[in-house]
Amino acid sequence: MLSWEYPPHIVGGLGRHVFHLSRALSSKGIGVQVLTFTDGSSPSEETVDGVRVMRVNPYSLRYPDFTSWIHGLNLLMVERVVKLREFDLIHVHDWLTATSGIALKHVMRKPLVATIHSTELGRRGGSLKNEHERHIHEIEWLLSYEAWRVICCSRYMVNEVSRFLGCPPNKIFQIPNGYAPDSFPKPAPLNRRDYARDDERIVLYVGRLVYEKGPHLLLEAAGKLRRGDLKFIFVGDGSMKPYLVDLSVRLGISDKVYFLGHVPDDVLHALYRLATVAIFPSLYEPFGIVALEAMGLGVPVIVSAVGGLDEIVQHGHNGLKFHPGSPNALAETINMLVDNPELCRRLAMNAREGLGAFTWEKVADETIKLYELVLEEYKSGTWKPRV
Amino acid sequence: MKPIIHITWEYPPFVVGDLSKRLSDILPKIASRYPTVLVVRGDSDGVFETDGIKIYKAGSSVQTHPHILAYAHLLNLDLVRAAANALHDNGGASLIHSHDWISSIASAYISSYVGCPLLMSVYTTEITRSGSLRSVLSLGIFDLERHCFQRAERLFVQDTRMREHLAKEYGIDRGRVVLGNSPDTILETYRRFLG
Repeated sequence: MLSWEYPPHIVGGLGRHVFHLSRALSSKGIGVQVLTFTDGSSPSEETVDGVRVMRVNPYSLRYPDFTSWIHGLNLLMVERVVKLREFDLIHVHDWLTATSGIALKHVMRKPLVATIHSTELGRRGGSLKNEHERHIHEIEWLLSYEAWRVICCSRYMVNEVSRFLGCPPNKIFQIPNGYAPDSFPKPAPLNRRDYARDDERIVLYVGRLVYEKGPHLLLEAAGKLRRGDLKFIFVGDGSMKPYLVDLSVRLGISDKVYFLGHVPDDVLHALYRLATVAIFPSLYEPFGIVALEAMGLGVPVIVSAVGGLDEIVQHGHNGLKFHPGSPNALAETINMLVDNPELCRRLAMNAREGLGAFTWEKVADETIKLYELVLEEYKSGTWKPRV
Repeated sequence: MKPIIHITWEYPPFVVGDLSKRLSDILPKIASRYPTVLVVRGDSDGVFETDGIKIYKAGSSVQTHPHILAYAHLLNLDLVRAAANALHDNGGASLIHSHDWISSIASAYISSYVGCPLLMSVYTTEITRSGSLRSVLSLGIFDLERHCFQRAERLFVQDTRMREHLAKEYGIDRGRVVLGNSPDTILETYRRFLG
């Protein structure tokens, strides 16, 4: 399994996905080897819960940009495993390890499975503005073409990969992401007064501060609400932070907003416990694993009706939804929820009960079924290594 | 005998610059002595034969590249596809011979998989092409060249100046550098590996 991120090097949800999936597959007797990145601070090889983890350090080469960095990482990944022959199938995640997966597929003549978590066109709001973005988009196309089967985490992503990359729908398998109840460490001992006044209830945003996650929409909603009894806490970092800080000043709500940046998981766990509601106002969200985490920690959620979030949340049952991109609708939804403790309690309870549909064990079961299908087709064909 | 697989980004009729001319002078002579397969960037995927050389051509999968370094990585992905077909169709390879840095990634993968010697012909380097390493892009190409050159068991160069250049700038052991790119020099080196 090839992934550019894996603990301890976590950038987004992909690293957590690969960690939990590889662990769950291993627990079911599948021999999993993960090939990933290190900056030198993590071991080049170790075994984690039965999973052999191999890491390559791409900083022996210099790069003009991120795209080249990824290509260099992929080069080193291929060199690391091309001599190993003791595996049956290659599984890559996103364009970030596409080229190494495709190279290994051809050299070793092993079947390639690809999980496409998101697409460049989706991340860029439907248009590609420069050659880097077009380059990545074409690699995503190539990956979906070269893969024996493609895994997507939601109906939304099945549709997106089919439309944007021209991948035949019958080649795509929908397997949702999972939720691991043990994924958070014990909550850190926080003093609530360090984050909000006693008369303020906490509205929590967790996610990168980038346009596609919609943090600006929550700020605009906060500006419309102008409620003295709410504190908006933003966990996460990203390129929009300076803009968001400035926006909170312009909206006159800077005293109601707290940008915490990235926090350790134990602190995040504690913040979830303090929060009245967690809000995920994404404009683009292939799945929304973070909403499952909030649900698992008993916090009622408000999500935009987009992508995977729209499929996870049933409005009024396990959360509330609002029209994507509308701060007015978000403000109304926040008002509806925070003044209704009974609704909060019911949504949180239903959400927690519904999480049984999203276990990593189920994800592993579905993935194994797909592996078996691919290997059966592979074995019945003529495309085999002759060297 | 398993073939010698040459990997390059140009060979007639797929001409970019001078390399294809040089190779079209050299390879038929090599092919008269050893079974020879050539992997080259082409207009589409396919196999054909000319001058006793079995040629596997690879079409371009990705058309848009922000710069030459990204292009090189994707070019090599196409070359890997064709080279892998050449390898499996012909039951292996006795040697891999790469021509210039731009096809060296694919060559390194294939030789590493097979476990056979990797030879490279170095005609130019980023420093000789650009004069000096004045941009991060140039540094990236230089690092990639160095990385791949160091994987070769022998590097063919035209003259002592290039040998010293590889030794000084790329840390290549002079004992691994073969002077001359003529068919006779190359064949003599092949014989040392193949007996």
